Amino acid sequence: MEALLDFWYAYSATLAFGLVNSLFALSMYSVLSAGILSFTTVVFAAVGGFAAAQMMGTFGLPLWLAVVIAGLLGGLASAIIAALFLKLETHWMALASLALILISRVVVLNTPSLTGGVMGMVVPVRASVLELAVLLAIVSLVFFRLHKSWYGLAIRAVREDAAAASTMGVSARQIQMIAFLISGVVGGLAGAAMATTLQYISADTFYLGVAFTMIASTVLGGSFFWFGPIVGAFVFTALPTITQAVLPEIQDIAKGVVLLVIMIYLPRGLIDPRARGLRKAARQRQQSALNGSDAVEARPGSSTAGHAHD
Amino acid sequence: MTLFLEQLVNGISLGSLYALFGIGFGLVFATLGVLNVAHGAYASWAAILGYFSVDYFGVPFPAAVAIGVLGGGLIAVTVDQIGFQPLRGRKTGMLGALITSIAFLIILDSLAGMATNHQSWAFPSSSFPSGMVDLGLIRIPEMQIIIIVATLVCGGGIYALIQKTGIGAAMRAVGWNAEAAALSGVNPRIVILLTAFLAGATSGLAGVLGGAATSNISYMLGEGLLLKGFAAVVVGGFDDVRGTVIAGILLGICEVFVAQYLSTTYRDGFTYVLLLTFLVARPRGLFGSRDFMRA
Repeated sequence: MEALLDFWYAYSATLAFGLVNSLFALSMYSVLSAGILSFTTVVFAAVGGFAAAQMMGTFGLPLWLAVVIAGLLGGLASAIIAALFLKLETHWMALASLALILISRVVVLNTPSLTGGVMGMVVPVRASVLELAVLLAIVSLVFFRLHKSWYGLAIRAVREDAAAASTMGVSARQIQMIAFLISGVVGGLAGAAMATTLQYISADTFYLGVAFTMIASTVLGGSFFWFGPIVGAFVFTALPTITQAVLPEIQDIAKGVVLLVIMIYLPRGLIDPRARGLRKAARQRQQSALNGSDAVEARPGSSTAGHAHD
Repeated sequence: MTLFLEQLVNGISLGSLYALFGIGFGLVFATLGVLNVAHGAYASWAAILGYFSVDYFGVPFPAAVAIGVLGGGLIAVTVDQIGFQPLRGRKTGMLGALITSIAFLIILDSLAGMATNHQSWAFPSSSFPSGMVDLGLIRIPEMQIIIIVATLVCGGGIYALIQKTGIGAAMRAVGWNAEAAALSGVNPRIVILLTAFLAGATSGLAGVLGGAATSNISYMLGEGLLLKGFAAVVVGGFDDVRGTVIAGILLGICEVFVAQYLSTTYRDGFTYVLLLTFLVARPRGLFGSRDFMRA
């Protein structure tokens, strides 16, 4: 029991940050799964984070109400930004979203009445690990339902081939707009979760560091299924803690090396539904090879089609 | 008037650093299709290598610059071959290389932090040209003149290389379509290595010269250059060296004047707003060609 408590004290912070980073990664995943590389999640999170801090600090609102408001304001921010950004080509959008992060830091530094400016803000309320877990569970449930819905199918179509999707009556623009709105709401929630976990936020909290962490988590875990970003976020958060116990000197380097190795050897991430599908297909091929020869003829063709798609 | 002229020269020299750094960043983006966020780390490392070679081995300043430039180029080639080469031909788009460049940013920055003990160092003032040149009306630091001349020489040289020589034609061809270039007898591998080396070397030059001029050599040096160099590249147009140089210098002048005559708080904001305006309203930049497409 002692050992269990020690373990909890040592690693509950890691767990909390894993949950927060999962929210960031899911927000990133929402746009990435529509074929958009955009780092605007950081901006939505800054909106949500500072809004939640103000709601709880200045107006004394309860935690959950502040979190909901943060999500709504994140969504509002995403609507404005998406209207501006969806006109751009994909590369330019990625670059513009980075520029927007740089600008939002300058804005945060220069609006001390809203954000505390250079001093940052102290957040009086602390979210427990359980509360963060509940928040992530709710968001995950939404993503789980979306994945199985018409929207889930449409967004996969848009990502694979926007032109083909539009011939089937799926408007890429509309799907991407929805993806941005979801990203905004989840990003706002992530910002609020970050604020209530760190209990101190400043301009540097929502800056390039968190942008790189969330894209790394998302791609590490796999950006083709909603569970991937969560796995990636936990791996990416836990990794420095683990290496710190073994070799504290190199914890950041180890993080970089793992990211590099996974990207080169597992470019589709740790959780990849297609790999599972291919394995299943391979098993079926084996089965049918044992059962009889007629089914074998058709299978290899379909599997090469799967590879060519790569 | 003296203040105005001094600040103008300050702006031009600051902008020259952004331009010098941006040349390589833009070259890699236009030719190799990589948004390389580790590009700033090359500059940090070049400055650190230059500083160590002066501090431990007492080499003269030009040799330290050469070591930094060579070091920056070699690191860039290493990063390219380990991080970007395996992804080529896999059609991961910009995303894959962006992730590996983030990995290298983390690795190189934390190694640089360890090498410098997370402190800021400076070249001893006797080891580099730290005097002032008297131009009658104003006095200009020697380092600023060196930076401006280096930028103009590098910018002009690389522009001539890309636009006037066979190697440059090969680089443009690979940037446009690597497969088609290979079909017409260009060896993409050599072009890639050369581009990576050139980019790392110019970034290294900016790092060493900037580190000497500002007396600030640390693992953070590259980040500032990266953000401003990125802005210079976008404003100038990705596939044009001239645009990057002009935009970089203009940005430097604007920054110094905004800080001098408006407020230092708007200094960075001005640059980034200009960056976003260009991305949204005119993504091909001041000089970029109309149909820049790189999947």
